[in-house]
Amino acid sequence: MNSIEANQLTKKFGDFTAVDHICFEVREGEIFGFLGANGAGKTTAIKMMSGLLLPTSGTATIAGYDILTQSKLIKRNIGYMSQKFSLYGDLTVFENMQLFGTIYKIPRKELKERIMDSLRELEMDAQANTLVDSIPLGWKQKLAFATAILHRPKIVFLDEPTSGVDPIVRREFWKLIYQAASKGVAILVTTHYMDEAEYCNRISIMSEGQIKLIGTPEELKKQMGVDTINDVFVKFVKR
Amino acid sequence: MRTILILIKKEFLQVFRNPLLLSILVVAPMVEFMIFPFCADYEIKVLNIAFIDNDRSQISKDIIHSFNSSDIFVSKGLLTSKKEADEKMKHDKIDLLVEFPSHFEESLYKNEPTVIAVTANAINSVKAGIGTGYVQEIIGGYMQDFAAANTPSNMSAAIAQQASMQSNSASFSQGEDGERQSNSSAVMPAQTITPPMPIRINISNIYWYNEQMNYKNLIVPGILVILVTLIGCYVTALNLVREKEIGTIEQVNVTPIRRWQFLLGKMIPFWLLGMAEFGAGLIIMKFVFGISVQGSLPLLLGITAIYLLVMLGLGFFISSVSENQLQSMFIVLFLFIVFVLLSGVFTPTEGMPGWAHKINYLNPMSFYIEVIKKIILKGSEFESVMRETIVLSVMAVIINTGAVLSYREASK
Repeated sequence: MNSIEANQLTKKFGDFTAVDHICFEVREGEIFGFLGANGAGKTTAIKMMSGLLLPTSGTATIAGYDILTQSKLIKRNIGYMSQKFSLYGDLTVFENMQLFGTIYKIPRKELKERIMDSLRELEMDAQANTLVDSIPLGWKQKLAFATAILHRPKIVFLDEPTSGVDPIVRREFWKLIYQAASKGVAILVTTHYMDEAEYCNRISIMSEGQIKLIGTPEELKKQMGVDTINDVFVKFVKR
Repeated sequence: MRTILILIKKEFLQVFRNPLLLSILVVAPMVEFMIFPFCADYEIKVLNIAFIDNDRSQISKDIIHSFNSSDIFVSKGLLTSKKEADEKMKHDKIDLLVEFPSHFEESLYKNEPTVIAVTANAINSVKAGIGTGYVQEIIGGYMQDFAAANTPSNMSAAIAQQASMQSNSASFSQGEDGERQSNSSAVMPAQTITPPMPIRINISNIYWYNEQMNYKNLIVPGILVILVTLIGCYVTALNLVREKEIGTIEQVNVTPIRRWQFLLGKMIPFWLLGMAEFGAGLIIMKFVFGISVQGSLPLLLGITAIYLLVMLGLGFFISSVSENQLQSMFIVLFLFIVFVLLSGVFTPTEGMPGWAHKINYLNPMSFYIEVIKKIILKGSEFESVMRETIVLSVMAVIINTGAVLSYREASK
């Protein structure tokens, strides 16, 4: 079963078409990369699929549920990490995870175990009672990811999760993504970093609201006759 | 239920970790309470007065002298010209000018009409009104003494005029002083005498519900109202929109939480805080200002609880329709000023034109201040605040429905 199926998904803001009839699907456990310049429509597409924005036309099914009519069911099955860091800075690491875990109705005892487990994985157990505002950005991003998958969603949307983060943390972050994907979670990730695009199972390049190229990194490189995704992108932009 | 509880916990944690918000919640009201009642005082305690005496007679000197024995007047002495007086009034050196015409004494004895000109600086109209009132009272008092000391045939029209002016400006019960009245008019019954005999009437006022005419009794409950309104409306209006600004609301909106759950999780903490503030306000009111609640405390708390719901709902409504804290701050500030000025918290509503009264039907604060005054100062029972209670309840339902409906998880 496909985790995400977008069908002619379109979003217009007045005269401006932010997302223009995009169609694609993401399989279970697949890491799907959304590439494109700023303003290409990546964030708008993600917001529609996660129920934050209503589409102008077209539709999509997320985990088998329709975004127009079954948004409550979708919300239970997705995790979301926004472009902007959006955990509560004035709550501690533990309090943040507890808050979101409780909202997803994870039973109290199990929630505590899950939080401790995931903090141990992140090697952040010592920071459990630190205010989120006072931890470094890279850790914040890892924490936001851990919080987004705490309720074991089927699909995770990551909107530029690694922007502004140093290369070491980026690599660690991708390790977390792989781990989640290996458990069957579908991941839709947007990024500016072309090296990260190489880590994806499949990528799509968006421009002016449309998906211009789609395929595995290998396919795209072959198609454009270049060696790296970076060159694919440069060549695509020049075209 | 667990969801709402965790949201309440979150909100309290955030409030107590936010030093700025804490100081808004705790320090600001306390300062308002400790300073404002002592400053917002309509009582006129000092009036600077000067005189121009064109008569220089014994009577004019006596009248001027009688001003010195009053606590409220500070005599700035005799001036020689109108121009000098103008200059002094312009520079706020004097509030009042009393000018005696030449041949003042002569006219009095000849029983001719004569006029004492009283000029007041009416930039502050309350002060001017009260000032000229006092001047009339003192001159009138002197004239009555003068009249009593002289034969009735010497009564001047001016005195009569003074006396009648006095009785026009004050509302009083003649019956109370009937005895005295008949005493002084015993010599010549009023109907048969021309010129009319000035009636000597002492007016004694009893002010119900605020016997000492203590302005604090009006101001302090007013501040209580402002306090509850600020907590209810201002803090909540900023709170929700702040989450919009920092983006946390997006993280909440992708969760399966229901919007009424989210709003309840926001309202309950601030409702509790508002009630706590109100309680603290009542305690300060009692122990600092000696004003205790005359009516039923549970009734007062109950209606306050409803009023807080109105304000919380309004706060959330404002923050869900505004984009950032600046916008919602301006909206709240605008509404707040309108509410306060129209509500009668500090100014009486009786003098307002009809349209203002109509607008006041939409002003929750005007209903609430009525309740506060009635229950705290008058000791009113539920029957006399029933209308206000019903109106506030209806407002609470409408505004909170509006708040829930206007709060969107997904934007169009």
